Amino acid sequence: MMARRSSLHSALLHGFMLLVALVCIFPVLWMSLIALKTVGERVTGFHALTISQPTLENFRRLFTLIPLWSNLFNSLFTTIVGTGTTLFFCSLAGFAFAKYRFPGRNGLFYFVIATMMISAEAGAIPLFIIMRRLNLINSLWSLIIPRIATAVGIFYLRQYILDVPDELIEAARIDGAGDFGIFRRIVLPNIKPALASWASITAIVRWNDFFWPLLFLNKNSKYTLMVSVSMLPVSDGLATPWPIILAGTTLVILPAVLYYLGMQIFQKSGSFAGAVKG
Amino acid sequence: MTGAWKKYRIPYLFISPFFVLFLVFQLIPVVWTLYISFTEWNGLGKPVWVGWDNYRLMAQDYMVSDALRNTVVYWISGVAIILLLALLIALSLNSPRLRFKRFFKTTTFLPYVCASVAMGLIFGMLFDENAGLINEILAALGGPRVPWLTKSAFAKIPVVILFTWRIIPWFTIILLSGLLNISREYYEAATVDGAGTWRQFFSITLPLLRHIMFFCMLTITVDTWKMFNEPYILAGPGSSNTSLFQLMYQYAFQTFKLGYASALSVILIVILLSISVAQFVIRRRQGEV
Amino acid sequence: MKKTLVALLLTAALLVPLSAGGSKEAGKGPGGSKVYPEGDILIWATGQPQFRKMYYQAFLDRHRDIAPKVNIEVVSLKTMAEGQQKLAMYALSGDYKSLPEVIMLDTVGVVELSTAGLLQDVTDYYNKIADQFVDGAVADSTVKGRIFGLPDAVRPQLLYYNVPILKKYGIDPAGMSTFDGYYQAGRQLKEKSGGEVFLSYVDPGNWTWRYWGRRGLMPQAGARIWDDQGNIVIGSDPGTKLALNFFDKLNTEGLLYKTRMMQQPIYEATDSGKIATFYIGAHWAEFMRKNLTRTAGEWRVMNAPVFKEVGKGGAPVSTFFCLVDTKTNEYTELFKMLWYDFQTNIDLRNAWVAEMEKLKGPYSNPVSKAMLAHPFWQEPSPFFDGQSFRKAEGDGLANPSKNMMVTASDAEADIIISAELEKYIAGEQSMTQAIAAMDRELKLKVKKAKLP
Repeated sequence: MMARRSSLHSALLHGFMLLVALVCIFPVLWMSLIALKTVGERVTGFHALTISQPTLENFRRLFTLIPLWSNLFNSLFTTIVGTGTTLFFCSLAGFAFAKYRFPGRNGLFYFVIATMMISAEAGAIPLFIIMRRLNLINSLWSLIIPRIATAVGIFYLRQYILDVPDELIEAARIDGAGDFGIFRRIVLPNIKPALASWASITAIVRWNDFFWPLLFLNKNSKYTLMVSVSMLPVSDGLATPWPIILAGTTLVILPAVLYYLGMQIFQKSGSFAGAVKG
Repeated sequence: MTGAWKKYRIPYLFISPFFVLFLVFQLIPVVWTLYISFTEWNGLGKPVWVGWDNYRLMAQDYMVSDALRNTVVYWISGVAIILLLALLIALSLNSPRLRFKRFFKTTTFLPYVCASVAMGLIFGMLFDENAGLINEILAALGGPRVPWLTKSAFAKIPVVILFTWRIIPWFTIILLSGLLNISREYYEAATVDGAGTWRQFFSITLPLLRHIMFFCMLTITVDTWKMFNEPYILAGPGSSNTSLFQLMYQYAFQTFKLGYASALSVILIVILLSISVAQFVIRRRQGEV
Repeated sequence: MKKTLVALLLTAALLVPLSAGGSKEAGKGPGGSKVYPEGDILIWATGQPQFRKMYYQAFLDRHRDIAPKVNIEVVSLKTMAEGQQKLAMYALSGDYKSLPEVIMLDTVGVVELSTAGLLQDVTDYYNKIADQFVDGAVADSTVKGRIFGLPDAVRPQLLYYNVPILKKYGIDPAGMSTFDGYYQAGRQLKEKSGGEVFLSYVDPGNWTWRYWGRRGLMPQAGARIWDDQGNIVIGSDPGTKLALNFFDKLNTEGLLYKTRMMQQPIYEATDSGKIATFYIGAHWAEFMRKNLTRTAGEWRVMNAPVFKEVGKGGAPVSTFFCLVDTKTNEYTELFKMLWYDFQTNIDLRNAWVAEMEKLKGPYSNPVSKAMLAHPFWQEPSPFFDGQSFRKAEGDGLANPSKNMMVTASDAEADIIISAELEKYIAGEQSMTQAIAAMDRELKLKVKKAKLP
């Protein structure tokens, strides 16, 4: 009796998870499939699921439509530099909030959390003018600088730094280490897993960023890949066939997927626990 | 005073980048937006002070009430669907009975790495009324062809599906981390006491997850109220699935009514602040913060 | 054979920069020949400007004597409205360095940006050469008597039809020269095909207002949103009723296949013989050439139908290259030469067009009289069953309707009107209710149009 119930339970569990996995993978597979179709082959309805002559021609065509290499470089640059700087400044602030006592610490920390509730997008109009005054229009730094210290990042990393034993820090201080030295030699090595997870997440968010590059960049050669791809489809004079557009979306999604598969972000999911234990 | 400064110089220095950036890239723009919201301005020339006119017009503008209603629907359904499914998936992934864990973890997190802009294009095709695969499947099963994006009544559904599809994995990992953090001993003790799976879930798992759930709810709230890409790409008839932020964008960048658009921004900010304050107050009253 | 020849010619032009002076060419308009400083001419345009860049860059390569280190950089914009707003934002922030030298605009943009003082006045330049171009080429870029845009194209509204489909159901295309005949053709198609074949399409989003409304039925019916003082009259205007009620008739009788414009399903439906005609602008030909495969060679074009009550043909759509006032304006004269060469250098322009045919790139008819008279522009088009599309495009400009009056409030009006039309198409209100709602919402939000 017990065994039957348990195997039923197991079947339900695996059935449910298979369904979830299917729903998660399907749109991505569908996209990749159409990206390999020749232009003119039917893509609607069930036709989408068959493919007669797979081709890489659509990807080749992309190169004639957009400056792919420079766009790719721009995306990589903002992603890598953006992630690196954000890790540094967020953990620095997280360290201060976690391990120092100073007047107004709790108030300031609550303030940081509260700012998560304000979306910077709401101030998009004046922000553009500010960017101009700072000479950041058409510069990839306009995508990096405003977010080198984010509230979520500080909040997340602080939770981990709280767990770094005070004794370690005290010991280092007694050995004559300065504040920054402690940060670099004690704190950072001790929160490596957290930094790794946070880096993965930030990198994906940066890679997928769309609204800001659209607003701050206005040269084809300065666009990120996401903006270029978003401009592939419909407009007054542009009639890019779906297989080519989907070749573009495949190209923009692929690096993120490969990165994700390579880094095995989810497998280390235990390291997200501290983020939210409050 | 200088003594105090000297003493606390380091932590203040460490946290200062955030505050400087917040001031320059968030606070000043928001205050500036507040000013613009009381003017009429098309981006060229000088803003003209019009007092409360923009706010008064908003009260009569059906697009604003539509967008407000839509956004509330996105918010409520987002919180409910995301929390429920993310919890279910996290519990399944955490179940000792589940085999091929690595495979399932890999696949279920996949949507989160996919850009919403790209996926929006794809979902638009899948939900196409006449040619989309989803209606084709429904028709093959003998069901009706649903006017997903061509009737107001249905237009919000694909938006919610796309949004939740992409973001559930993120909350799944957060909840899963929470689950992994709950000590096995609690469950062992409960099993000794004879508590069944359900009892254990309601008396151990849920209470221990409540901080995480609260954190998730806050994040989902912000994400839904500033939703843009999904309804922008999957536009339905008229303002049937327009979000508040999208309407702001439309007024600002398509019709050049920067004053009116700023007024919408202000409403958005006020709503977000009130929701978060309310949530914190409630939790504080319950003695949980 | 001929194709190879023009392609060769183009290649030669691209590869062999002519020696100093370049005086043999027609490409030297009024403009002088100083030497231009190193840099990029930044051009913002919709469509696929990278194809236009091929011509412009080749021009610069032929003129290295006066522009030794000048290059073309194009930015592709989704819509002209987006370019207009971006330009305004840059100017507003005082960022003249990032401004493009040139922006492609339609009438709405020219009115709005010239009013704001962001465009250069080209009246004196254009008037000297005006007699070389078709009449009315700058009508829509003239604001208060001054010209702010160099004409790039003037393209008519046309009626595309699928020959075998009409033949199969015994419909004579000549009958579709009036809207009444067009409607009758639709009814016959529906009856005889058992509802399998539709007269045309309807888009559930804002393309319907843009293509059926603003650029199509509305101007042909003499419809008005505003009166000459900018007061809102759409609710009571007889032209609006004529235009939109005709559309209502097509739609409620199920003659229009509902599908999204400019997306794969519409091409597949068309290729599978579901859609028999398109009442739309000349630019649609590019979309058809590029996306239709099975029905290639089955199409023909004729002039847009007319309302018997009004008797006017389709309204043309003009696009302009406008010189932005960047304060330094260092490439202004160079771009004028470039524009002039593109419009008047018959051999090279024809070679470029032939190349576009091959690459399935976009191109439109020229606006210079001499070039239009060249036999190249009468050549048959294989896609159009041997009919000359280029000639048909020129013919389509005959007896034009006047375009709707454009004010600085029209971008907003488009959104308001389209929203009501979309609800109508979704079946959530009647056309009468939709027109009343357009009137009400415009009066609430716009109050009165801002005249230029």
